Amino acid sequence: MDHLLKDAIREGRKILLEPEAKGLLKSIEVPVPPYEVVRDIEEAQKKAERLGYPVVLKVISPDITHKTEAGGVCTGITDEEALKKAWMEMVLKVAHKRPGARIEGFVVEKMVKRGVEVIVGTIRDEQFGPVVMFGTGGIAVELFKDVSYRLAPVSLEGAHDMMREPKGFVLLNGYRGAPPCDVEALAHTLVKVSRLLCDLKELEGFEVNPLVVYEQGVIAVDAKATLL
Amino acid sequence: MVDKSTPDFFFNPRSIAVVGASLNPAKLSHIVMKSIEEAGFSGRIYPVNPAHTDVLGKKCYPHLEDIDDEIDVAIFALPAEKVVHEFEQGAGNIRGAIVISGGFSETGKEGRLLEEALLRVAKKKGIRIIGPNCMGIYDTISGLDTLFIPYDRVDRPPKGRLAILSQSGSFALTAMDVLAREGIGVSRMVSYGNKIDVDEADCLDFLRDDDNTDAVIMYIEGIDDGRRFVESAKRCGKHLFAIKVGRREAGRRATSLHTGSIAGRYELYRAAFREAGITELSGFEEFLDACRVVHRLNPTSGNRVMIVTDGGGMGVSVADMCADVGLQLPQLPDDVRRELEDMLPPYFTISNPLDLTGNATDEWYLASLEKTMTHELYQAAIVLLLWGPPALTEALPAKLCELSDRIGKPFVICSPGGRFTEKMSAIFETLGMPVFSTPEAAVRAASIILKERKGR
Repeated sequence: MDHLLKDAIREGRKILLEPEAKGLLKSIEVPVPPYEVVRDIEEAQKKAERLGYPVVLKVISPDITHKTEAGGVCTGITDEEALKKAWMEMVLKVAHKRPGARIEGFVVEKMVKRGVEVIVGTIRDEQFGPVVMFGTGGIAVELFKDVSYRLAPVSLEGAHDMMREPKGFVLLNGYRGAPPCDVEALAHTLVKVSRLLCDLKELEGFEVNPLVVYEQGVIAVDAKATLL
Repeated sequence: MVDKSTPDFFFNPRSIAVVGASLNPAKLSHIVMKSIEEAGFSGRIYPVNPAHTDVLGKKCYPHLEDIDDEIDVAIFALPAEKVVHEFEQGAGNIRGAIVISGGFSETGKEGRLLEEALLRVAKKKGIRIIGPNCMGIYDTISGLDTLFIPYDRVDRPPKGRLAILSQSGSFALTAMDVLAREGIGVSRMVSYGNKIDVDEADCLDFLRDDDNTDAVIMYIEGIDDGRRFVESAKRCGKHLFAIKVGRREAGRRATSLHTGSIAGRYELYRAAFREAGITELSGFEEFLDACRVVHRLNPTSGNRVMIVTDGGGMGVSVADMCADVGLQLPQLPDDVRRELEDMLPPYFTISNPLDLTGNATDEWYLASLEKTMTHELYQAAIVLLLWGPPALTEALPAKLCELSDRIGKPFVICSPGGRFTEKMSAIFETLGMPVFSTPEAAVRAASIILKERKGR
């Protein structure tokens, strides 16, 4: 896994680029959506064709951690024309909101189906060492702090236990007639992510947000990582 | 870090010195001498003060280095700026030091420098330190009492099997004052204040091998090495409880990850407590409740409770509170239900909570508790004993205690009421059995003894 960090360390970066973070996820066998890294619009259109619409376009920049706030994410792109339009707008928006940010390319990613969104993260604490966090549902995380923490790594049993602590767990358990989500796959993902900082001493934190949970399986749609 | 072997000598010292021992009754050092005397410490005691030849009838030495003996524990109760010098001069003679004096890092930069100097000497000489800015030790096993609060102001608890570890001296002392009045005993109490050396983990490592201690109750402001603390707690093998104060402390430094910024420090303490098998307590009242229950009852794991009462309404209210804290009240298994139906009048509703009504007798209480609590379904009982029914006798408390001991499951006794009730509760208390005078307190106690602390 170490090789996935070597560029970032050599360049003295404090964050991993999205493709690097996704690479880490692939290496621990957490599914990510099919994606391609592209440099120009023609390449983007070609890859999008192969991935199949709808796609998502995301900026790759070592200077941007919150892509959405920087105007660096566009979802629901349905065809070639829309992709070109999104590309143009994104370049302008990012230049406006984050002037001077280096743009190293873009990610074209297959848009995933809707499911239940959760957040899974881990961070190195100076007192307690690596800890792992689980929370449900987008804004509930920030608004209600509906999350649970454990010391990392967690066991499978510990993962199940921490999943059930936030109130939002009901969303995973077949809320309002929806089929119950694959909590087993989620638990395994928690276990794997909780081991990342124990195995990679250069990592300061790692966060999958959102991780989409389905009736069967999970997909890590976005991932961030910070280095010590 | 200094030498990290467990500093046992703090808990079984053969010789102690009080540096700065004063003749002035208003001085802390004088009160410490008095406390040592009152507690009946049986080892050798050396007052140290160049101004005196004897203190409280004991020969006083000018300096530590003038004592021709190895000192297990030297207690420093003199102004902070003098501590470092005396400590350095006497370092050849001492194994451990309790630095009661304040005026160190808690006061600012100058104090911090003094504290660093103290730690440097300690490291060089291999001396362990409790404190500074602490109350030190109250120990009913070794007979050591270094508390600078006089006996006529704060009572000391009798010998017991409960250890208290507390960053704050006043918190622990106030609790001990209440415990003393209720006859609840303590094995060891350590207050370590600024804890530049000896900390929770050291004390837990000592208590692991301490046959005099069954449970440890901690007051925690902050822990420096969280992982070491968790490891010590995990291998301690005693029942562990802790209150964490300063719960609103903000999270860690700025980070772009939600994982780091969402929660404060407290959430991580909770995760650590869980990992370490520590039952969390919410505040002073729960701190006392934990002392009360572990004093007489054995903590156990689980969440299934049987309620037996002679007051139906009160029973329902207790049932509601149990649900609020995550305790379950499973209904009676069929065989148990049938046995109770055979025994109790036909108009009774046999359920959990079980209401024995105003006709309740000692025998009904004992038989229904025996039948339900010997069943594996239930892990603890709340005995909501209202003393109105005229058939209940003062022989019941002893029989209930005996039954709880025989079955080996905790009975949490709850008896709200007035004059007569208090008389009956006093009987329980002479048997060492705590009685909770409100349903709220009883449910809290049940959740503590079952280590089931949901919803916090």
